[in-house]
Amino acid sequence: MTALVCPFCGPRHLREFEFHKTVPAPGAGAFARVYERVDSLDVSVEHWQHVGGCRGWLQVRRNPSSGAVLEIHLVGGGGGQ
Amino acid sequence: MSGPAPRYSAWSLVRARLAGDGYWRPLWAGRTLQEAYDVVVVGAGGHGLATAFHLARDHGVKRVAVLEKRLVGYGNVGRNTTIVRSNYLLPENHYFYEDSLRRWETLSRDLNYNVMYSPRGVVDLALSDDDMSGNARRGNAMRLAGIDAELLDLAALERYCPELEPRRERRFPIVGALVQRRGGTVRHDAVAWGYARAASALGVDIIEDCEVTGVRTAAGAATGVDTTRGYVKAERIVFATAGHTGMIGAMLGTPLPIETHLLQALASEPIKPLLHTVLVYVFPGHGETYICQSDRGGLVMGGHLDGFPSYTREGRWDRLEEVVEGAIELLPQIAGVKILRQWAGTNDMTMDGSPIIDRLRYDNVFVNAGWCYGGFKTIPASGAACARLVATGTAPDLIRAFRLSRFATGHLLDERGGGPFPVRL
Repeated sequence: MTALVCPFCGPRHLREFEFHKTVPAPGAGAFARVYERVDSLDVSVEHWQHVGGCRGWLQVRRNPSSGAVLEIHLVGGGGGQ
Repeated sequence: MSGPAPRYSAWSLVRARLAGDGYWRPLWAGRTLQEAYDVVVVGAGGHGLATAFHLARDHGVKRVAVLEKRLVGYGNVGRNTTIVRSNYLLPENHYFYEDSLRRWETLSRDLNYNVMYSPRGVVDLALSDDDMSGNARRGNAMRLAGIDAELLDLAALERYCPELEPRRERRFPIVGALVQRRGGTVRHDAVAWGYARAASALGVDIIEDCEVTGVRTAAGAATGVDTTRGYVKAERIVFATAGHTGMIGAMLGTPLPIETHLLQALASEPIKPLLHTVLVYVFPGHGETYICQSDRGGLVMGGHLDGFPSYTREGRWDRLEEVVEGAIELLPQIAGVKILRQWAGTNDMTMDGSPIIDRLRYDNVFVNAGWCYGGFKTIPASGAACARLVATGTAPDLIRAFRLSRFATGHLLDERGGGPFPVRL
């Protein structure tokens, strides 16, 4: 994985992006949202920020075992504002 | 030939020479999986093997098995940069890491296997007065605990590490350093092999190519594990699976405060002796390089985590560039040296950067995990303490702070002061 495709800015180098954390399971309480992480070999759903570009928040679905990016969409900021 | 290896000594070398081929035995015995064990340890890495060794040696546990998905030493025990040190700020950490460093000093004798402990010093370079204050604070905390630490000004650093030429003009000039002289390096593969050999000699079954796929339970306790070689009954189960601990949490239905990240390392072609110590260089703008020279002559270096969850064991290219840039900034004379190989390991990063040795969901299931990027140096202390917890049911004082419940009770051990994110600086 060397690049991500920002829905607003297009394909950009990985170093422009900052991983935030995995997206908590629906209904997770405050403790789980802060400290617990959803770990999976197949699909990881994560929040990233395009800090070196539009600063938009992205939801990224990836396969952490192969490095393949499955889906990216904007969830806040970036081109939306 | 079967049976355990003979005890190593100068005399055994002479006998081996006289006996010719056939004297040397495999380091650990190839045993078959039994139906039931007192303790099943999952993961034949450093922590798993050390735990099994101490269970058998210190607590007389008779039937111990170490189940390994791949090969002994395939994981992080063979993928690290071999550095050992105990230069931590928090008391809960530095007493524990110091216990480990003391065990490193005598481990070759204890295991009857040369792990090549080399107290060549670990030098944390300071690039600003602020860095020096941080170093002084940490050094003082260590000295109060009776751990060796020495703050070096430029002149002292020049005497300690002349090859660094600390006064040379750099983009980020060096102003001083904190050195722990008893820190240094240990031959990592020898640690895996030495523990495996010693544990096997005590009767521990080391079963490779045996993946644990599930835990069976009855009446609120674990009864055994399902493996790719069939079901094994176990009185107690210890998971020491390093970068796959998150999977264990999922298997037991217990989410853990752990995220799995890659950490890279690389080694250069062998060159003549150049660097006699371990340099740790954290430079402004998110860069870090630590570098030492192996006994074979290769420069071994590493840096920050890749920064996002991954099991690929590949490593991102720009991190590699960053580590090399830092190394050349430190030692410009190595700029023409070729990189021989690069690799990555999966790191079980906890949300405060400190480990977890505790029960996990069931009274007879234990987890030895969350070693972040510092697991190698703690292997001897972790094995001894974890074995005591498993054998007696009570955590020794040394690891009481490493309980899992600390995240809920707020007793975090956040050495970095970075909050519940493994990668933020």
